[in-house]
Amino acid sequence: MDLPVRRIVRPGSLPEALAVLAGKPGARALAGGTDLVVQLRDGRRSADTLVDLGRLEFTSIAMHGNLLEIGAAATMDDVARHSSVRRMAPSLADAAAKVGAWPIQCRATLGGNLANASPAADTAPPLLIAGASVRVAGIAGERTIPLDAFFRGPGATALHPDELIVSILVPPPPSGPIVERFVKVGPRREQIIATVSFAGRAEIASDGRLHGVRVALGAVAPTPRRARGVEACVEGRKPDAELRREAAIAVQDDIAPIDDVRASAGYRRIAAAVLVDRFLRSAEEDRRE
Amino acid sequence: MSERIAVTIVVNGERRMFEVPAGRRLLDLLRVDAGLTGTKEGCGAGECGACTVLLDGLPVTSCLVLAASCDGKEVVTVEGLSGHGGRLHPFQDALVVHGGVQCGFCTPGIAVAGAAALARGFQDGEQAARLMSGNLCRCTGYDKVLAALEFARENEHGSE
Amino acid sequence: MARSRAPQPGPLGGRGPRPDAAAKVAGSTRYVGDLALPGMLHAALATSPVASAWIRGIDTSAAGRLEDVAAVLTADDVPGRNSIGVIFDDQPLLVTDRVRMVGDRFAIVAARTEDAAWASARLVSADLESLPGVHDPDEAMRAGSPGVHGESNVFRTFRVARGDLGRLRSRAAVVVEAEYHIGGQEHAYLEPQGCLAVPEGRGRVTIVASCQCPFYIQQGVARVLGLPLAAVRVEQAPTGGAFGGKEDYPTEPAACAALLAWHTGRPVRLVLPRELDMQVTTKRHETVVRHRWGADRQGRLRFAEVETVMDAGAYVGLSTVVAERANVSAVGPYRVPAVDVRTHVVLTNNLFGGAFRGFGAPQVTWAAEATMDALARRLGLDPVEIRRRNLLDARHRVTCTGQRLAGPVLAREVLEQAVALSGWDGRTTPADTSGPIVRGTGVALVQYGCNLHWGGQRLDRSSAVVILQTDGSVVVRVGLTEMGQGNLVACQTIAAQALGVDPTVVEVWQPDTTTVGDSGPTVASRGAHMSGLAILDAVARLRTRLDPVAAELVGCTPDEVELAGGRAFAAGDPARGVSVAAVAAEMASRRVETIATGFARTRSRRFDPSSGQGEPYEFYAMACHVAKVSVDRELGLVHVEEVVAAHDVGTVIHRDALEGQIQGGVVQGVGWAVSERLAVDHGRLLNPNFTDYVIPTAADAPRVRIAVVESDGAGGPFGAKGIGEPSFIPVAAAVRNAVCDALGCEVRRLPMTPQVLVETLGDRHPFAWMVKSGARVPGPGDVEACRLGDSQGPEG
Repeated sequence: MDLPVRRIVRPGSLPEALAVLAGKPGARALAGGTDLVVQLRDGRRSADTLVDLGRLEFTSIAMHGNLLEIGAAATMDDVARHSSVRRMAPSLADAAAKVGAWPIQCRATLGGNLANASPAADTAPPLLIAGASVRVAGIAGERTIPLDAFFRGPGATALHPDELIVSILVPPPPSGPIVERFVKVGPRREQIIATVSFAGRAEIASDGRLHGVRVALGAVAPTPRRARGVEACVEGRKPDAELRREAAIAVQDDIAPIDDVRASAGYRRIAAAVLVDRFLRSAEEDRRE
Repeated sequence: MSERIAVTIVVNGERRMFEVPAGRRLLDLLRVDAGLTGTKEGCGAGECGACTVLLDGLPVTSCLVLAASCDGKEVVTVEGLSGHGGRLHPFQDALVVHGGVQCGFCTPGIAVAGAAALARGFQDGEQAARLMSGNLCRCTGYDKVLAALEFARENEHGSE
Repeated sequence: MARSRAPQPGPLGGRGPRPDAAAKVAGSTRYVGDLALPGMLHAALATSPVASAWIRGIDTSAAGRLEDVAAVLTADDVPGRNSIGVIFDDQPLLVTDRVRMVGDRFAIVAARTEDAAWASARLVSADLESLPGVHDPDEAMRAGSPGVHGESNVFRTFRVARGDLGRLRSRAAVVVEAEYHIGGQEHAYLEPQGCLAVPEGRGRVTIVASCQCPFYIQQGVARVLGLPLAAVRVEQAPTGGAFGGKEDYPTEPAACAALLAWHTGRPVRLVLPRELDMQVTTKRHETVVRHRWGADRQGRLRFAEVETVMDAGAYVGLSTVVAERANVSAVGPYRVPAVDVRTHVVLTNNLFGGAFRGFGAPQVTWAAEATMDALARRLGLDPVEIRRRNLLDARHRVTCTGQRLAGPVLAREVLEQAVALSGWDGRTTPADTSGPIVRGTGVALVQYGCNLHWGGQRLDRSSAVVILQTDGSVVVRVGLTEMGQGNLVACQTIAAQALGVDPTVVEVWQPDTTTVGDSGPTVASRGAHMSGLAILDAVARLRTRLDPVAAELVGCTPDEVELAGGRAFAAGDPARGVSVAAVAAEMASRRVETIATGFARTRSRRFDPSSGQGEPYEFYAMACHVAKVSVDRELGLVHVEEVVAAHDVGTVIHRDALEGQIQGGVVQGVGWAVSERLAVDHGRLLNPNFTDYVIPTAADAPRVRIAVVESDGAGGPFGAKGIGEPSFIPVAAAVRNAVCDALGCEVRRLPMTPQVLVETLGDRHPFAWMVKSGARVPGPGDVEACRLGDSQGPEG
């Protein structure tokens, strides 16, 4: 079937794209389309005019000083395999390799995954713990939005209708020994939407204490979000059985899961506790290694 | 009503022009406008992989790609996998020989994805299964499909 | 019946390429959705979004006004009978006064484009008065529950009653009582339902359909259009998977397309969008099984009481037939001196229960094998050992229906083969339970009744046509279908073996109701069996004309003629012979008839439905599966690592096809076991898509190791038995027993999703302390009560 859209434009430059978005109510940006096309087909989103960003070629992945900049149109396949991503944000590379299946990864873009703002967006937790921000451009100019201020609700972001994501900026990880993990839980090993997803990172001090603790979860709240209660609970402490217990409880106040077709809120709460526990166990193990 | 747009796409090596509605999916352009019905629609949501084609050399689910987005690009469908003289791609051959075909509806997508997997390269069976996990098959249980893929890889390497 | 000669060397049991494979890999096979005819219209359905309502009126005016729409039809436009039920007259093609399920059709549309057709269908409006639906089968069974069809919702109860229950109850040292809740399953064939109807003029119509049962479609379309059967020609299109889902259901879209073609005079194609397909087509029955089984101290079964409740949905469809098989399969391949089985078919306003690989046997097998393990645990016996002590075998041949099994009884052989191949070690609780990953092993058996149950034996016949062409190539037509399972290659192999020719000269064509007699449905693993026997019969008849000609050419008597290697020769003297092609040419030049028909039927049997005693099936196939799993006991994630499948197949016809059936059956069973959950709310499917109805991918498939037990004595072609269903039936039970072994607890719900396992573990879950800690974690009871909401958006 044809998608119910009236027009599609393929601007050749950013100003042109922004002009279309600003000039047409009902215009919507199209990147990889792996979410948007399904939503347009099901009537979950609508668009009068699609602004296909394919010709803008915001696909580069490059270091700028110590900052990693990933073009919004970089595909999951690009992100998962890029050496700088693997070095700077290994959990992001892992997450990108878990978005849909390979044919989806060859099409889905990092910018699109964020702009779609699914609570289950795979790349969001790793980017949240990396302290990433989103570089956006609009008619009025550019601005940078920290990722934890970017998501506003299921499908809703801080983007204005005439704004586009240009790139994602990832600051460098701490220089010392760190533990970093991404875990996605679902009823199938591949090609599955997360029932719960988790990303965590911490510096491991020489005495075994954890610092700079960052934890984020997906599919347990209206948006992917940092688990600040867990972070505060763990900060500066050694990961032992007692801390794992406290953190598993702490995460319960960080999340607000719902029952849906994929799992109950209760299951998600247990799973979140398990994932926090496992992260702290791996912090213990990584230290021993 | 939807506007019509003109797109030029190299389909299976042949440069072709189409005039289609703005909302046309690549899948429908191939099946309806180009008459290439080998590419199948199994779900329309990018989950089953029956509509997998190569877009500039990489596998994509053509039900999620708009025809307009393919302007100036190259598409290879299952019909285009075979080489000169209609010789099947080594993976297509291997699927026949190793019993990797049953009802056949997922097969065009499997053939395309497998060809892409061989081009990308994989280390072991687990990695091969991951690359193929976007192609659902309800008949074979995948065993003979993956055996065919491994066979095609070994033979490719053998001939090098 | 077939003349069976000693098998010559030939393709039997080999691995030659399937005749359909090359076109399928090249993408040149044309499925229904690939067909287009000049002037063809596209059909769409206007269906009910609710499961139960009175209909005050149906307004099609807006739908008809849409551009490109050629026809919008309602029940008033049906020239014949507005009835589509395959056995019972309870289901209208188009509803008029009452909605009984989500998907009931208000109207059907034909338009010049697919998009216009569906847009028009959405404009059909029905004025509905809501009516409370019945969604819980247990409640539906109670007196006073609103009747889906006005009367009692218990449509049928089937029974097996045998032995002195009272006496044997008292001899049981241990008794296990359990209630099992077994979810339904979606077939998830990759090709959605579809058909093409072509008006042929002179009051005739051709249907080209993705289907298992062209003769069902022929009957349904003839009834709806008021035509004689001879005026309805049904040709099976290449069919992209079926698994029972294209047994009776395709008659519904075919009748819709035929009705539209009838009214417009143009070809009409209907292909269901996946979401509608998943919502409205038949499903494996959601089933509750209640057990009270007892065994003596040695673990010998003394009695088995089974009550099974199958949720049929709003129309009976094939549910009675499914329940018949479930009923007589309820105690597995075990000898039980006293049996009391009751199997209820209950009407509700839920999803439409129907045929699905195994036909009720998978549900009762899941329960039976769970109870066998529970008894073993209670008695301190190894699960394999308790089965050894109860299996039917050469000395104990009488089944729960009182049937004395003929021929070799191979339950013990398949068990021992599976045990040996899996390295079963008298399992113990896994040594290391400190980590989250625990491993387990489980075993399950099935005694599969081959072909149709006694209740359907009038349909258990089959027809074939064999034409020897003048160049020695062979046309074979059969009435049973290829839907991926390999019937084409099986028929090709059987015909080639019987004619002594190379399989590549045999062309088996898809069924067409104008070329062969009604052969019944392609179900019950009877395809290769029944079409094969009919082919052998046809070949035998052909040879009454071929052999004399060959004998003259060779210089021997007709009795001495043998065919092998593409040649006809005198027995014992292959060197002195001529090619079969030469014989064919000679037959042509002598004007000898080279076409022969063949026919096969199963042996007529006696059965008493009131007691469930008699011979429900002619013979049986045994199978045993052993599953090895690893379970993440914290997250409830199951990975099935290996399934060993030992099968009593009689004779292997085509080895790749056999293995493919087993491998595919195992993976489909793994999906049912762990991830395929139909989430239903008031009859509406909440996950009608492959995003949230989760079938296994290549990365989820276990390693499948196969042991084949061949034997003489079965009744199929060259002794072959069907494999389609036996390959599926024990899988989920073996996986379940392995999961329980790993977790050390009883799981009584299927599918065993992560949430089900976490809830089942309850207080034994490693994080159960959190529930008591005051953290906001609901206990299992609360979780159970949680309402299903809309899904969150996808990713990517």
